[in-house]
Amino acid sequence: MRGRGRILAGALACAAATVAIAVTTASGQEGAKPLTLTVGLQQDLDSANPTVGVTVAAYEFWNLQYATLTDKSSKDFSPIPGLASSWTSSPDKRTWTYKLRPGLKWSDGQPLTSEDVAYTINRARREQWLNYSQTVANITATTPDPQTVVLKSSVSDPKLPVMDVYILPKHVWSKYDKNAIGKFDGVTSVGSGPYTLDRVQKGQFWTLKANPSYWGGKPRIDRVVFRKFNNGDAMVSALRKGQLDAVENVPATAYLQLQKEKGITTLQGQQGGFDEFAMNGGDGLKKPNPALLDRRVRVAIAHAIDKKTIVNRVLRGLGTPADTISPSANPSWMPKLAPNQRFDFNLNEAKQILDQAGYKDTNGDGIREMPGGGKPLRLRYAVRQESADSQPTAEFITGWLKDIGIATTEKTYSDSQLTEVIGKGDYDLFVWGWTPFVDPDPMMSYFTCDQVSQDPKNPTNYYNDANWCDKTYSAMYKQQNTELDPAKRKQIVQQMLTRFYESATYVPLYYQGDLQAYRTDKYTGWIRQPAETGPVLFNNSSQTYANLKPVAATSSSSGGGGGGSGTIIAIVIVAVAVLGGLGLVLARRRSADERE
Amino acid sequence: MSARFVTGKVLGSLVTLFFVICFNFFLFRVVEGDPVASLFRGRNLTVTQREALTKQFGLDGSTGEQFVRYLEQTAHLNLGRSYATNQPVSKEIASKAWATIALVGISTLLSTVFGVLIGIAAAWRRRTKADYTATTFTMATYAMPDFWLGMLLLSFFAVTLGWFPVGGIEDASSNATGVAHLADQAKHLFLPCLTLTLAYLGEYALVMRSSLLDTMREDYLVLARAKGMREILVRNRHAVPNALLPVVTIIAINFGFVLSGAIAVEAIFSWPGLGLATYDALNGPDLPMLQGLFLLFSAAVIVFNLLADLLYASLDPRVRTA
Amino acid sequence: MSTVALTSARRIAWRRRRRSAAAAWRQYRSNRAGMVGLVVLVLFGLLALAAPLLADHAGLAAVNSTQNPVWASPSEFHPLGTDHLGRSVWTQFVWGSRISLLIGLTATVLAMVIGTLVGIVSGFFGGRIGGVLMRITEWFLVIPFLPLAIVLAAVLGPSVQSIILVIGITSWPATARVIRAQVLTVKERLYVDRSRALGASSGHLMGRHIMPNIAPLILANTTLTVPIAILSETTLSFLGLGDPTRPSWGKMLEEAFAAGALSEHAWWYYVPPGLGVMLVVLAFVLCGNALEEILDPRLREQRA
Repeated sequence: MRGRGRILAGALACAAATVAIAVTTASGQEGAKPLTLTVGLQQDLDSANPTVGVTVAAYEFWNLQYATLTDKSSKDFSPIPGLASSWTSSPDKRTWTYKLRPGLKWSDGQPLTSEDVAYTINRARREQWLNYSQTVANITATTPDPQTVVLKSSVSDPKLPVMDVYILPKHVWSKYDKNAIGKFDGVTSVGSGPYTLDRVQKGQFWTLKANPSYWGGKPRIDRVVFRKFNNGDAMVSALRKGQLDAVENVPATAYLQLQKEKGITTLQGQQGGFDEFAMNGGDGLKKPNPALLDRRVRVAIAHAIDKKTIVNRVLRGLGTPADTISPSANPSWMPKLAPNQRFDFNLNEAKQILDQAGYKDTNGDGIREMPGGGKPLRLRYAVRQESADSQPTAEFITGWLKDIGIATTEKTYSDSQLTEVIGKGDYDLFVWGWTPFVDPDPMMSYFTCDQVSQDPKNPTNYYNDANWCDKTYSAMYKQQNTELDPAKRKQIVQQMLTRFYESATYVPLYYQGDLQAYRTDKYTGWIRQPAETGPVLFNNSSQTYANLKPVAATSSSSGGGGGGSGTIIAIVIVAVAVLGGLGLVLARRRSADERE
Repeated sequence: MSARFVTGKVLGSLVTLFFVICFNFFLFRVVEGDPVASLFRGRNLTVTQREALTKQFGLDGSTGEQFVRYLEQTAHLNLGRSYATNQPVSKEIASKAWATIALVGISTLLSTVFGVLIGIAAAWRRRTKADYTATTFTMATYAMPDFWLGMLLLSFFAVTLGWFPVGGIEDASSNATGVAHLADQAKHLFLPCLTLTLAYLGEYALVMRSSLLDTMREDYLVLARAKGMREILVRNRHAVPNALLPVVTIIAINFGFVLSGAIAVEAIFSWPGLGLATYDALNGPDLPMLQGLFLLFSAAVIVFNLLADLLYASLDPRVRTA
Repeated sequence: MSTVALTSARRIAWRRRRRSAAAAWRQYRSNRAGMVGLVVLVLFGLLALAAPLLADHAGLAAVNSTQNPVWASPSEFHPLGTDHLGRSVWTQFVWGSRISLLIGLTATVLAMVIGTLVGIVSGFFGGRIGGVLMRITEWFLVIPFLPLAIVLAAVLGPSVQSIILVIGITSWPATARVIRAQVLTVKERLYVDRSRALGASSGHLMGRHIMPNIAPLILANTTLTVPIAILSETTLSFLGLGDPTRPSWGKMLEEAFAAGALSEHAWWYYVPPGLGVMLVVLAFVLCGNALEEILDPRLREQRA
């Protein structure tokens, strides 16, 4: 019996040793690899189908797989040739003729003609495809010849000639009719962009390979891999180890640490995203606390918010205090406010304004009442459950409001609940944010009178979450919507933004960029869009990928973390095996005892 | 065990399960706002698009219609689509389930084995220093919030010493396969498993100890001792198996609860299982996901409670007649 | 004659109770672990009560901490350092102890009240009422605690009251079961039957005979339910379901984790609250065990 126990222990130890060797050698393996760009992000590709998906990850994928008629300049988003090499317009600027480049092909070798363009645009308009309808709702496409597409708009559209909807291959997508297209997962490698889809592993990664048929020439980087991470810290650690070349949405703490590291460039990619402190404008289905209907109260509140402190403490400095809302990824649409136009942080001024307007604390409880000693100024503050910054921001804002004599009652909502609450007008204050498109029209439209909730049965069908209706603003909106002169249009937009700012219904808190980081030792040629301030990846045109080239001819050294820890595991396994073997031996001995 | 007894228990569990399913629906309906509007905020949806999306999310029709549809779908294990990823909830759950089962299974096994051993050792050496040390240790780990213990282990062994990874289930950028892949996963499993093991072994140790102490005083053991049987045999052959009874049932019951109890620990270690899915779903909240997870956890507890009852009944004849 | 006899009887009863209480206290005192637990509880109780003296309540507000450095390690200005918003961790710990203990105790009281009522009624009456109550109890036992807590918090909105409600609702079944078992045992005793034979009402029986006999068990069970309540509150707050406007130890852990205290090596933010929970829970468990040990021999005597 003792002998058998010993043999068993010995066998276990040998097995463990074999495992150890296997582990240590396996972790050190590497083969020859094509040039690969590996990008880490925490969001999954929700759908490869451009008529279904909505995530940023999906947009990046479509930017790479599907070329568009016009591209957007990385400097200022102005239209530059894409699939179309040139375009002309009719005198009334409603009809645009685009000439396609000669010899365009899909990645499967099929020719890319005006047929595909017209098919995509007309079908998108008819079936009201998500991600398309905003652009092509009023546009009909015709094809006089395979190299020419004529787009006719039924209204004056200042966005034209920009045509950045993803052109889909008719020979692939015509297989899916109106009812089937919504269920198609979009996993196809037939595309016209610099890269096409190679493999998708839901929740883990998706890989793209370079497209030799791309009109701009086959990119130098052979493969692009997007890796989904569940954990921001693991993602950053992979960047540090060289297993990732770039990372999207770096967690704030990690970003601050990465800033100090050599060999890694960090950037805050501004795309016009902002957060705002919103007050109920009172024009919706329900009226807020009567104090908010008085512009002076709103102005006083605006003076009580220290945007700099919020940026420093809540965002750890990773943001810029905001003036007006940002209607576009292109910052040039925003007006410059004069110093006396701005509502600067000044608690004394806020208190003065309230005193002079008659909102005094008559009963000494620290809370002001309506003029004449009526209802106390106790406002409902809706906190967003989903946002990590929401709670600390609320702490600060409610603290300052308390200082100037306004009490608040906080309530936490999920986003879907809050949307309903805002639609019904059943709130006083909240903090939320927006990310604009490139053209300012959509963002500007949200604050028109039309977009204020009017139907109590469907209160969430409207976008005006300021519940603010200003006839002048709405009239100006209609003007800029059809104003074809760019300078004039910009002027109108800037006037609208100033007007909205002055109503003090929205107090924009800060502009927040996309925190990104990339290694400088492997590839060079990272393009920011817009120039100097924008992100290098996950922006509106994704031009970086085709532009990258290796820094030096050496391949990267990855798998550095594998060896050492593999050895530790091996040691642990051996130790456990030996202990197990010993245990067996001892157990046998004891039972031998018992039997006596 | 009579068939009647078993049938009775099973039927009771099914009734409970049905109640839970209905409860699930109405509870979440109360919480729901307008997910379509909030998810597609700022996308300028047309009326057609909005209607199509509302239908896609199953939010069209009256509450009664939605309830019937819900029952139908649940019967087919169609649990809706996650708001966050737009993927079927059942698929999401299926893909994450094994990570939790691995973590919970292994830690339950380890905590049971070690807990029982410690309990036996402590009872055997009652009122000695070893007993006091063991009891204090187990009480301390029982008193700690399990995720706090996880934070401590993580900060010391992973962040400070760097011996273990900071989170996740595997090194996402490595192409390792086979044994190396398993070793990588084992390395990631170590700390969360250690946390759960320590968190639960205290309870088993304490219950085992008191149960064994009670059993050791029983009459039939007096008889065995009187017959001249050696103490160690009395302990191992008679006392322990009988004392194990309550422990066994607790384990079975716990398994159902640990599935949902590992939420905080999985969050700390970013362990991609059902617990982390729940934690993420809470930040939203991703209601279909929460609904599906809630159903799964309840079903698990019901099933394991049923198994525990049947197990206890089969092991202890005194119970069956109750 | 009868009046004098009755008064003496009552006084005799009280004297007996006082003597047994004194004896119990003596026995408790001899239990070292129990005394340690009691001392710890008293200390934390004092900490919670003396909060205004120990830390300025205004220090909880982020707007009042803008001059403080963030993530500062413990120093003479801030005995437990500061967090990511510059707030003093010591202030949060002291004021948070109030909420954690309050929720733990109140939720326990709620659970005990419901559980005891259900346990007594279902144990005493048996039959259909008892059966229905048992079914309800089992049903509640089966619902996993966290998902139910999540749903309730979502429905009621996160606040101190909803957390107390949640924990109370999920904790009473365990108590009900234990109480019911004990009631069943007591019911079988001779004098209960004798009283019934004498024509005593159910109320009288429940109040006069059953209650005093299970009162010590209720006490012991309470002491052991509080730790569960405190641990539950800690977990719920950690998951973000607690009251966002009040500090608590669980909320401190949640904020520490979310703000990245682990990678900041800011141990002063996450170690103290967890330690506080552990010590309080341990103290209650030790006290509860000591109480049970006192009760044990007595119960065993009566069983014979």
